[in-house]
Amino acid sequence: MIVISYAFDEAIASLRRSGRSALISIGTIAIAFITLGGFLLISVNVQDVLDRWLEAAEISVYLQETAADADRVAVEQFLRARPEVAAVEFVSKEHALQRFRTDFPELADVTGSLSQNPFPSALEVRLRAGGDSTTSAETLAKDVAQKSGVADVQFDRTWLARLLGVVSSARLAGAVVAGILMLGAAFTVGAVVRLSLYARRDELEIMALVGAPFSYIRGPFVFEGLLLGGIGAAVALMVVAVLYYFAGQYQPVRFLGYGEMALMLIGGIVVGAAAGTLASRAAHR
Amino acid sequence: MIETIGVSKAYGREEYALQDLTLKVEKGEFVFLTGPSGAGKSTLLRLLLLQERPTSGHVVVGDRDLSTLTPNEIQAYRRTVGFVFQDFKLIPTKTVFENVAFVLRVLGQPVEQQRRRTYQVLKWVGLQHRHNAYPLELSGGEQQRVAIARALVNEPHIMLADEPTGNLDPDLSIEIMNLFREINAGGTTVLVATHDRELIKWVGRRVIPLDHGRIPGSAPAPSSTEPLL
Repeated sequence: MIVISYAFDEAIASLRRSGRSALISIGTIAIAFITLGGFLLISVNVQDVLDRWLEAAEISVYLQETAADADRVAVEQFLRARPEVAAVEFVSKEHALQRFRTDFPELADVTGSLSQNPFPSALEVRLRAGGDSTTSAETLAKDVAQKSGVADVQFDRTWLARLLGVVSSARLAGAVVAGILMLGAAFTVGAVVRLSLYARRDELEIMALVGAPFSYIRGPFVFEGLLLGGIGAAVALMVVAVLYYFAGQYQPVRFLGYGEMALMLIGGIVVGAAAGTLASRAAHR
Repeated sequence: MIETIGVSKAYGREEYALQDLTLKVEKGEFVFLTGPSGAGKSTLLRLLLLQERPTSGHVVVGDRDLSTLTPNEIQAYRRTVGFVFQDFKLIPTKTVFENVAFVLRVLGQPVEQQRRRTYQVLKWVGLQHRHNAYPLELSGGEQQRVAIARALVNEPHIMLADEPTGNLDPDLSIEIMNLFREINAGGTTVLVATHDRELIKWVGRRVIPLDHGRIPGSAPAPSSTEPLL
């Protein structure tokens, strides 16, 4: 405990002495983490929207005009037997027309002038939630299209799955950019720590000569890096919170969860402490 | 006991600071290392403080060959050695008290013990009244006394001093040597590197002369018991 209190006190004193260079270091860490936090904020919100869409996603199996009741029952039984299917609802031609009229009352004149009902009867299949069932749902859509009496199959999830792929790629790209920025930030922290190491070289020489344990010699520099990283990440979190506030004025969005916030803070601390640890190796050379 | 066995230290291919040096200093002894500039006095002290390693040979302190020590063992060994340099090596941004207490602080001693022991040694070197002063506010003699207090605060078994009176006038030099004699009287082995022959005469202890990194011949212990002041 004494060594931690010593290292912490010395690190705080060193940061006060460093002044502007410490601020630059905190700034570069913050920029890296604002990028990461921004990507996280966008990605959690896009993911939320996609999840909602995915839950509502359906396979619509349109039946032929000439399809017999036996065909419909066979298709319905086939669908209910599949594990990825949550529910199957039969929508008759009349029901479909009625629903259209309810949903689009402004088009009542158009539907009223029709000589016959243009809507096909259909089986609406609701899938179980979870994006990983997309592949099996695609197979299901293909399989059911082969069944007798089936005119067409529409699967909403295909384009959602493609969108998910795009979002995942964007998220990966964001992580790479944030990673590169973080590496740069780590170098800056390392440089600041080395500067304070240089400023305290007389003290370090005496510490080494009186036999101070290495934890006392290097500890303050590790803590200095840790504080720079932690403060930088905390500043970034505040900036992301401000961005969230402004984004919320235009679009309902949710903020980062505790897990994502912890990831940013711990990330900052780890990056800073690692840079400080590496830089502090020079302390007892 | 301090022993060097065939110790050589070379800087570059041909420049030998020490050459095949074999000497022995008994526990509790007070020994002067003397010789002209470049004789190897400071190099020998640096080897004893493990600031450098010998090119060949062995340095043995107690029953440990210093070349076998791990980095952590080196730090533990250094805790048993006090050092005083000609240029004092005080930290200018710390007060007299902080300069001395610093040693105990970085060795993890409790605050109350740091305070008590620091005042004790400052009193012993006669500087308790200047505990809040900064090194640059002190005279050369006072700065060296702070350096001695710092070297002593951890109660070392060995005290190494490299030209400790090099920057001081004769009166202050005698004052500092008196402190070393008292330290030695407490059982600490003292090695002082100096080229001040007058001072050596005054103190009257065994002398190990060095010249070009070798001992030309052991000097007999002077018989002077004259009081210093």
